[in-house]
Amino acid sequence: MAENSILIVEDERTLRRLLEYRLGKTYQVRTAANGEEALDRVHEEAPDLIVSDIMMPKMDGFALQDALSQEKATRAIPFIFLTAKADETSKQRGMRTGVDDYITKPFDIDQLLSRIDRLLERANVYQSQLDAKLGQDFSERLMPKRMPEEPGYHATFYNKPREYGGGDIFDWKRAGDDYFFTLGDVMGKGLQAKFYAFSFLGYVRSSLKAMMESTRSPAKLMQKINQVLVEDEVMENTFASLLLIRWNPKRHELTYANAGHCRPVLVTDNGPELITYSDMILGLKGDTEYQDSTLTIPPGAAFMAYTDGLMEQQTPDGTMLGEEGVMTCTEHLHTADAPIDELLQRVLDASHNDIFDDDILVFWLQRNA
Amino acid sequence: MSLELKTHNEETVIVRIGKALDFRNASDFKAQCQEQVQEGARNFILDFSDTGILDSTGLGSIFSLYRQVSPLNGQVVFASVSRPVQVVVQLTRTYKVFRQFPSVEAAQDTLA
Repeated sequence: MAENSILIVEDERTLRRLLEYRLGKTYQVRTAANGEEALDRVHEEAPDLIVSDIMMPKMDGFALQDALSQEKATRAIPFIFLTAKADETSKQRGMRTGVDDYITKPFDIDQLLSRIDRLLERANVYQSQLDAKLGQDFSERLMPKRMPEEPGYHATFYNKPREYGGGDIFDWKRAGDDYFFTLGDVMGKGLQAKFYAFSFLGYVRSSLKAMMESTRSPAKLMQKINQVLVEDEVMENTFASLLLIRWNPKRHELTYANAGHCRPVLVTDNGPELITYSDMILGLKGDTEYQDSTLTIPPGAAFMAYTDGLMEQQTPDGTMLGEEGVMTCTEHLHTADAPIDELLQRVLDASHNDIFDDDILVFWLQRNA
Repeated sequence: MSLELKTHNEETVIVRIGKALDFRNASDFKAQCQEQVQEGARNFILDFSDTGILDSTGLGSIFSLYRQVSPLNGQVVFASVSRPVQVVVQLTRTYKVFRQFPSVEAAQDTLA
């Protein structure tokens, strides 16, 4: 975690220096000699916590606290009063104005440090709980609630997002006899990646909707999505790997374009077969051209697509499981009752850990024998 | 994190990536390269000789750099690409954008 920053507001130079020195060992410290200066510092960059004297020239501690509480952006910064005013009236006034703690001079520096610690920890816990909640919410919205139901097929998916995982997306849409599947991974980690993934999925959905009138070619759709991503300022520096798959269950046909995504696998009696065609990742070059490839799903075979969390799972020798490793784990799974569960178990068995390090997303399309 | 930047000439910077470019040092990489671009650098030679880890955040930071220098007719090239880095480059099909050289010297000769 980044070092916490503290602003010290104290008019007496010696004490200011002493605090700067002591707190500087643990935190990133800035100082101000009065309330006015403190407001300037806060507006340059908001600190994680403020330790302030009460009696100061120009603007005193009460006025500073009052000014900060007027603004939404600064209202929640933890605030500790540090003062010689040991009398009850000041103390009560201080507490009433919404300060988080109150320490009277002469004070014990260790006591101050421990109170700072406690307040910062509280703020950090609150922040990470909020992040986790938001992340969870984004993750849920990035996945479909149900799957297509077609006679002779069984379509399933599994998704397990991690709090500090990335931005996996999965979606599908029906268009006449066809289904369009979108499976991808927006680069980056944590909440930011999930947020970008959320915006990105919005782009993909609206592009699909707008273009489906004129084309059913995943490659053409991919080209359009790539252009939007490269040209649009909001999405600048968003990079994503993506599989766009058109499935026609009547003809048992899959037509797909692959923008730098983990290559899917066709699992048959002859063993797993890598579906090799792929092109450049989205967001890098606006004029990238994509191609459609078509394959037929034989009776009893299964098509499997996934995101890199599976492939990047570490093995006991410190390397990654890799594409070949994932392929090996899919062997004969086209005859399994719960192929995804079995696959995940095999991956974990081959790994150094009994849980997954990253987000996991697997899409399994099984044709009945 | 052990990023090492070295100016080769006015326009070209060599970045020794070290053991890893991932979510831990990607923003550092981004900031340092940006600084170089502001000072006039256009070409970046990324030396991957010791690199064992390149994750998607790390790769994203390289992409951002590419997006930044390509309008300036700059280039981002890869030198001494290690096996783990090669895997990522193959998977994302980005070898079409990032030219690869067997060594930093070979890259320097071509960019000069």
